[in-house]
Amino acid sequence: MDYEFHWNIVFQKMPELLQGAFVTLHVSVLSMVLGIAIAVFLAIAKMNNTKPFNYVAVGWIEIARNTPALFQIYMAYFGLGAFGIHLSPYMAVLSALVFINAGYLAETFRGGFQSIPDAQYNASKSLGMTSFQTYRYIILPQMFRRIYHPMTNQFVWSILMSSLGILVGMSELSGETQRLQSLSFRTLEFFIVTAVLYYIITKFVLICASLLSKRLFKGEI
Amino acid sequence: MKLLKLAGIAASAIAVMASSVTAQADQLDEVIKRGTLNCGVVLDFPPMGYFDKDNKPAGFDVDYCNDLAAALGVKSNVLNLTWGDRIPSLVSGKTDVVIGSTSDTLERAKSVGFTYPYFVFKFQTISKKGTPINSFADLKNVKVGAALGTTYETEYLAYAEKMGWGKDNYTAFKSENDAYLGLYQGKVDAIISTNTNIATKLQTKEFADYVAGPYVPNYDDVVGLIAKRSEVAWINYLNLFLIHQIRDGNMNKHYNKHFGSDAPADLIQSLRDNK
Repeated sequence: MDYEFHWNIVFQKMPELLQGAFVTLHVSVLSMVLGIAIAVFLAIAKMNNTKPFNYVAVGWIEIARNTPALFQIYMAYFGLGAFGIHLSPYMAVLSALVFINAGYLAETFRGGFQSIPDAQYNASKSLGMTSFQTYRYIILPQMFRRIYHPMTNQFVWSILMSSLGILVGMSELSGETQRLQSLSFRTLEFFIVTAVLYYIITKFVLICASLLSKRLFKGEI
Repeated sequence: MKLLKLAGIAASAIAVMASSVTAQADQLDEVIKRGTLNCGVVLDFPPMGYFDKDNKPAGFDVDYCNDLAAALGVKSNVLNLTWGDRIPSLVSGKTDVVIGSTSDTLERAKSVGFTYPYFVFKFQTISKKGTPINSFADLKNVKVGAALGTTYETEYLAYAEKMGWGKDNYTAFKSENDAYLGLYQGKVDAIISTNTNIATKLQTKEFADYVAGPYVPNYDDVVGLIAKRSEVAWINYLNLFLIHQIRDGNMNKHYNKHFGSDAPADLIQSLRDNK
């Protein structure tokens, strides 16, 4: 390959790249936290036969799991825009990622819930626990322990998919990379450094998640 | 035995010569040998590059590709690029030349080989009639957008920084089309684009209610063709091609076709002077 790498320009622009990396981390962590909260309700609603809730949950999960993330981000930005609802690029990407995370995690959580024997539900009822108490103290802690690994996969996925924010002009890591490389045309150098930054972010998040899990689940993973 | 040795030396000498000959074959030879010119154009930038009603590439830049291929005596293969794809397409060898309104900054010239200028644009705002934009400084009070990775984005951001506006009022769009879509939907009050593209858009019924606004102060966007920086002989050929486009009247012919009038004398003169 007859290509000379010039790295100095990338290091000059490092502060701006890191700012983009922070936005990437920010949006994916937030989308994950909100996604998990919604997914718990979607999973319960899907297993439940109460009609309107069941329909909403099934519809949400089906759309989130079977359409491309690219389409959802585009719809959140330009699709809603056609109806006069204007989300900022950040909000459009955040809401699309929350939508997808919730949809995917709901199915994972449902698997987790169903892996817990019915006897435990009955036992807690006979101890006089309300449904809320049953989920809070008996079911959810076990469920989260079982689906911990698929959940971290989804987390990594969110970090990487937030790069689609470039579609709607979000200044996350990929968007900043694209803008900075166009000034100097050192495309390969910027893309390589960005790939390394994504790797570091992903590793960082995985290490944090594993430390957190050791604390929460007392090593029983 | 001696003969065999001699034959061996002769054979290796020929091999060395042959390999040195192929090593000297440059992009120009390669294009001629291949019989096809792979020419990159940004096809969401009318009237320089766009898809016509039969969904075929058309526009000023596409005509230049076809003229260049004709001059070389090869077939023309137009590849559609986004702004951001221009350099990777050259580095990866997917394109031989990019005719894509590339602003010839000195910073970029460290990475890629520029020809003489082949066109000069002005940057301008477009907004809905009645938006209070009388001078470029009025952009302070409205939401502004532009396509990501373009020189007008860079120029606007530099201006905004100089004036202390910050980036809060600014939205980047992935492509030129998305920027116009954002303006049409009211996500931004004004976008910055080139005078040529704005003039084309204002003729469509979607943008009948819009007007072209002030120019980016003190800035002429001078653009060249780009090729691999190392391919000096190829760039030499491209330079001569550009000179011939003006000398033979092709430049004016295409200008007339896409802009509906003769090319302005000062544009022709500045291209003749390579400025």
